[in-house]
Amino acid sequence: MEHKVSYALWVLQEPIQYVCLAWMATLYAIKIRQLLKKPFPPEKGELKGDRTAGVIHSLTNVLRPWDMESTSTNMFFYVEFVIFHIAVILTISSTFLIPLTPWIMTPLVTKAIMAFMGLAFLIGLRRIARRLLVPNIRIITTFDDMFAIILMTTFFLVGFITMNQWLEAGAKPIDTTMMWIFFLMVTFFLIYVPFSKISHYVLYPFGRINFGRVFGGRGVLNKSVANPTWVPK
Amino acid sequence: MSDLQENVVKLETAKAVEQPVARQTPEPLGTQQNRHWPVKQEFTPEMLAEMEKLLPSRLNRILVTSLASCIHCGMCSNACHYTASTPDDPKLLPAYKADRFRKWYKFRYDWAAKVFPWFVGAQPLTKELAEELYDAAFGNCTMCRRCTFNCPMGVDYAFVMRIARGLLTAVGRVPQGLQETVDVHYNYGNNMAVRQDEFVETIKWIEEELQDEEGCSKFTIPVDKKGAQYFLTLNPREPKYYPLTIQSTAKVLNAAGVDFTISSRYWDLTNYALFNGIDPDAKQFSQWQAEDVQRLGCEYLLAGECGHGYRCLRWELPNWLGGVPFKVTSIIELMAKLVEDGRLKFDKSAHKGKRFTYHDSCNVARSGGILEEPRTVIRAIVDDFVELEHNREQSYCCGGGAGILAMSEYTQRRLAAGKIKADEVRATGADVVLQSCHNCTDQLKELCSHYKVPAKVMNLTELASPALIL
Repeated sequence: MEHKVSYALWVLQEPIQYVCLAWMATLYAIKIRQLLKKPFPPEKGELKGDRTAGVIHSLTNVLRPWDMESTSTNMFFYVEFVIFHIAVILTISSTFLIPLTPWIMTPLVTKAIMAFMGLAFLIGLRRIARRLLVPNIRIITTFDDMFAIILMTTFFLVGFITMNQWLEAGAKPIDTTMMWIFFLMVTFFLIYVPFSKISHYVLYPFGRINFGRVFGGRGVLNKSVANPTWVPK
Repeated sequence: MSDLQENVVKLETAKAVEQPVARQTPEPLGTQQNRHWPVKQEFTPEMLAEMEKLLPSRLNRILVTSLASCIHCGMCSNACHYTASTPDDPKLLPAYKADRFRKWYKFRYDWAAKVFPWFVGAQPLTKELAEELYDAAFGNCTMCRRCTFNCPMGVDYAFVMRIARGLLTAVGRVPQGLQETVDVHYNYGNNMAVRQDEFVETIKWIEEELQDEEGCSKFTIPVDKKGAQYFLTLNPREPKYYPLTIQSTAKVLNAAGVDFTISSRYWDLTNYALFNGIDPDAKQFSQWQAEDVQRLGCEYLLAGECGHGYRCLRWELPNWLGGVPFKVTSIIELMAKLVEDGRLKFDKSAHKGKRFTYHDSCNVARSGGILEEPRTVIRAIVDDFVELEHNREQSYCCGGGAGILAMSEYTQRRLAAGKIKADEVRATGADVVLQSCHNCTDQLKELCSHYKVPAKVMNLTELASPALIL
């Protein structure tokens, strides 16, 4: 589905987004460089396990909720997490798909993305309530945490409404008010995210790799490849 | 009478009746400096300034990732034995405790905090924040890593807390009891100030006791035997309070025909500098031990039954020293191998009618990688073995780790935090809870007494010894 948009909206959708994207990528590159400049603490003990296997095991543990007690005993939370993050990926992707490859946004694809956005919006509301009402979570919640979840939840709602308008308009001209809001939010996101907790996805692989490297090497993870320390005599 | 009292009485009685032994002149061990770390009771502006100065030197990739990547999801809330035992206190949440450090780190290094520190929860290092960090690092965390294994982001809380402890200790804010343990080790070469001649005398007495056991007349405990394959190390509580553990270990090794020796010098495998976070001390203690292994030309450094001691020797010592020319293993791994090779045989009727369970020490299992070996040993010795609800790398800390037994000011918290473990032991209906760590031994004994759990506490060589077929 393709809709004609004004020149101003096109500027927001494309050149401004690209500049903001470049800004975000630059800041992330600096962040990663700063992190990689820090030394990795030595692990010189004779390995009992396998570091590479440990890293793979650790990086893929997000796909094995049964592996960690915190997820295996909290499957509802895990399912919410999966839907929420799929919705994030789809919503961000759609900001590029709408202007660049509008023909991909068939009614079926649009409805599928909307379904995830709608669910993610509800999950977002529950997460906001959780941050406000559960004492264990409230005590560790910062303004950054709260702002990030409110922003994402609003973003899903705006995205849902925008998509719905896009879908319902068909071949007719579309009222672009919601699209303006949606793409302004995207622009804000790209500028703001490197400074917020939302950038946790950049740090995620580092945390998992560190963990997998140490405890894979020590034979605690991926036990099937664990080796005895001693040489049998 | 408790096992401990029984052992001590036995030791004292035996010493009283034995003939005077020609004592060798003890070698000076340790640094002989009589160092007393200046312990401070509260923070001063100078101490805070010093911590600010030290922080950049402690930043490595694991610490920075752990401090920067917490998303405050709260998944660690049930992972910690403190929160599991005291669910009503949100300040015991691992993320909350680590945030005491994180706030300071963010104030120094977070980009957003440069403009809006309040927005990301950043705070300058004030006296109040430093006190909160002190309380969290020493009094509310045993660095057991259970939260780390349950963190979706891979935040290494134990690593964070050890660095925090190191920074606090460096400026003198460290629990007196913990620091005294390190100072004694530093001054005397072992953390109970056992003199070399007293130690050798004790080992000789234990050897005689061992030889009095049926079928053990030829068993020996070689001291300073050059070229022995295994250099056996001990926890200083053993020669002091638990000589039967040394006797049991020696009996097992003799029964399997293992070529081992004990050094008269640096036989103490503990390293409480792991707990106060001072790396130069940790390195010093490791250096003594490594040099002693090389002095005797042993192939393996063999850790006795001690959780953090094993971890220090097996995983940390090579890091502190930059690698070592010998192998490091544990008595648990060795026993498992000897069982698998058929060199240790057991009469299961020795423990008939008793139910056993096993507590995985955090430093042996989660941080050490010894998960199946104890089960190989236990299953070879007893018929009725049941697992605790949470076992192997998911085992809850007993609450006695990270040197907290040396910090008497936290006794009540320690016992409260152990409730989850006491409940799990009770639920198994076990008569005996097995473990392989001296801090766990003492904590589990206290827990069983405090929570009225009718279970005895025993380590693995003590389990094996009476069941050996000689």
